Amino acid sequence: MSGGTTSSRATTAQRLRKAKNIALIVFKAVLVLFLATFGVTLLVRLLPGDPAITLLPYGTPEQHESLRQTLGLNDNVFVYYFKWLGNFLQGDFGYFYSANTSEGAQISTLIGNVLPRSMLIMVYTMIFSLLVSIPIAVAMAYKADGRFDRITSNVMFAISSIPNFAIALILMYLFAVQFEIFPAVGYTPMADSFSEHLKSVALPVFSLSAGLIATQTRLLRTDMIATLKEDFVTMASSKGLTDRYILWRHAFRPSSLTLMTSAALNMGSLIGGAVIIESIFALDGFGLLLTTSLNSRQYLGIQSLVALVTVFYVLFNAIVDTFYAVVDPRVRSHRGAA
Amino acid sequence: MLSSTHASGATVAPRKTLGFYLASGWLGLMLLIALFGDSLPLPDHKEYFFDEAGAGLFSGKHILGTDIDGIDILSAIVHGTRMSILIAFVCVTVGMLIGGALGIVAAYWRGWVDSVITMYFNVTLSIPNLILTFAMVAVLSSPTATNPEGRMPRVLVIIIALTFALIPILGRLARSSALSWTGREFVQVAESIGMKRRNIMWSHITPNVVPSMMSVGFLAAGVVIVVEGGLAILGVGTDPGESWGSLLSKNRPQIVDYPQAVVWPVVAIALTVMSLNFFGDYFRKRIDNRESRI
Repeated sequence: MSGGTTSSRATTAQRLRKAKNIALIVFKAVLVLFLATFGVTLLVRLLPGDPAITLLPYGTPEQHESLRQTLGLNDNVFVYYFKWLGNFLQGDFGYFYSANTSEGAQISTLIGNVLPRSMLIMVYTMIFSLLVSIPIAVAMAYKADGRFDRITSNVMFAISSIPNFAIALILMYLFAVQFEIFPAVGYTPMADSFSEHLKSVALPVFSLSAGLIATQTRLLRTDMIATLKEDFVTMASSKGLTDRYILWRHAFRPSSLTLMTSAALNMGSLIGGAVIIESIFALDGFGLLLTTSLNSRQYLGIQSLVALVTVFYVLFNAIVDTFYAVVDPRVRSHRGAA
Repeated sequence: MLSSTHASGATVAPRKTLGFYLASGWLGLMLLIALFGDSLPLPDHKEYFFDEAGAGLFSGKHILGTDIDGIDILSAIVHGTRMSILIAFVCVTVGMLIGGALGIVAAYWRGWVDSVITMYFNVTLSIPNLILTFAMVAVLSSPTATNPEGRMPRVLVIIIALTFALIPILGRLARSSALSWTGREFVQVAESIGMKRRNIMWSHITPNVVPSMMSVGFLAAGVVIVVEGGLAILGVGTDPGESWGSLLSKNRPQIVDYPQAVVWPVVAIALTVMSLNFFGDYFRKRIDNRESRI
């Protein structure tokens, strides 16, 4: 066989395999979403107790019957689930029911109100944690096992062990109560005042970032140390390039892959994972909406909101997986190491 | 240079640092307090010392002060230890048994059994564990016409929900650990002499998976304590004052005026979780060392 034909044939085969891999990732993601949402439906539907009575504890039997009809509780689980799924896919997330209003608030409107600020906090947290962890990790890897590295490693280990609500409460006590630098609770929209806005999100962002900084520093440090042992780094330093230049231009970029993966995966879990922080700082975000809907037993609300959180999480996972399927196969094994 | 450290036969156990002794000391203390804490000579954790409400550190017999209701903070924390440790212990034990069994079966059976179990793990893991447990607690403890307080005791509901969230985490680790053993020679030998697969799993694979499960168990116990605290903050924890988390949620509104009632439970939680993580990490290193020598 001549070299040219084999290589072109190999590329076609490779391309096919790539496409197959991506199709598999998408299929798995859809399957997980389907099963997860169905699981939530089962949880809500199959457990004893009547949601209609929970929603209207003092209602008459006729009112209960009509509520059951509107909620679709008289259908069997499968019919109910697919009706819900159809609505969900069309962006109709159902209603919040209350004893006082006949109509109830539309869940998609409520989500529309809170999602922007939750997303904003998510993005701030990611930017802040990367801005802090990257320089620290690079400095640690530069003099690995040196004094700075050892002390910082221990501090990071300690930080990663402290639950984020504990960090939130301590920060709140220090910066809001003792020194009164930041407001203790509440959220100021960007449109009102940008500096106040930043102040109002500072403590939540710090609390959410602490754990992320610890993880990300550890990941980047490990990868940087591995990269700094590579031949091309030795080559670069023998050419007389400065350490700073080598660290940032030669070593950082190839080392940042695991870090970016972890960041992307964390983005996916931040949207629902910020529940406690949002509740502590009274941010009125997505997490708080979820909490209220659970506390007031809004079964339709629970279903749609949990589904949304899951969609975010699975989506970011699938993006990362696709990314790894597309890039160079040598890189792919990195994910396993992370 | 690298080979010389190898040849000197680096000790199996990683160096016991100061941190190791501090962590084990703290965990031992917590265990003792959980068992015998109620017989310590402290003020009653249910008594309201109204005259001394909001006292600071070392005021009279209240070593850590009192909260807004005049409840002694130290004795409240001591009392909460039992519930927090109990929840962590039960959840991790049951989670390890169920998750471990599922993971080992998945790893050894492979095929569709593996696919189904792995899919179950992935589906459960795709819902953030706090939200999963929160939703389960909310649904499981929903009131009925006959019992407005809910169907089950709160603690049981919390234990069920947390265990459910732990199973896929522990199970996935058991599976990956078991996978590294299923291809070993001694398993192949056992298969070739016609040993039953069930027996192979039980006597050849399980004993090797248990050590790494133990190390993860410490980390998982930390996760349980954190999530229990989180549930309490969200208002679905144990009864007020029964666990560390519920102390937090009870005193959180008073953080401005009586910060001591919030800070000390936070310290107890943070130190315990830190020690658990340290311990888990220590055991993991120990297992890594052992396996790298094989």
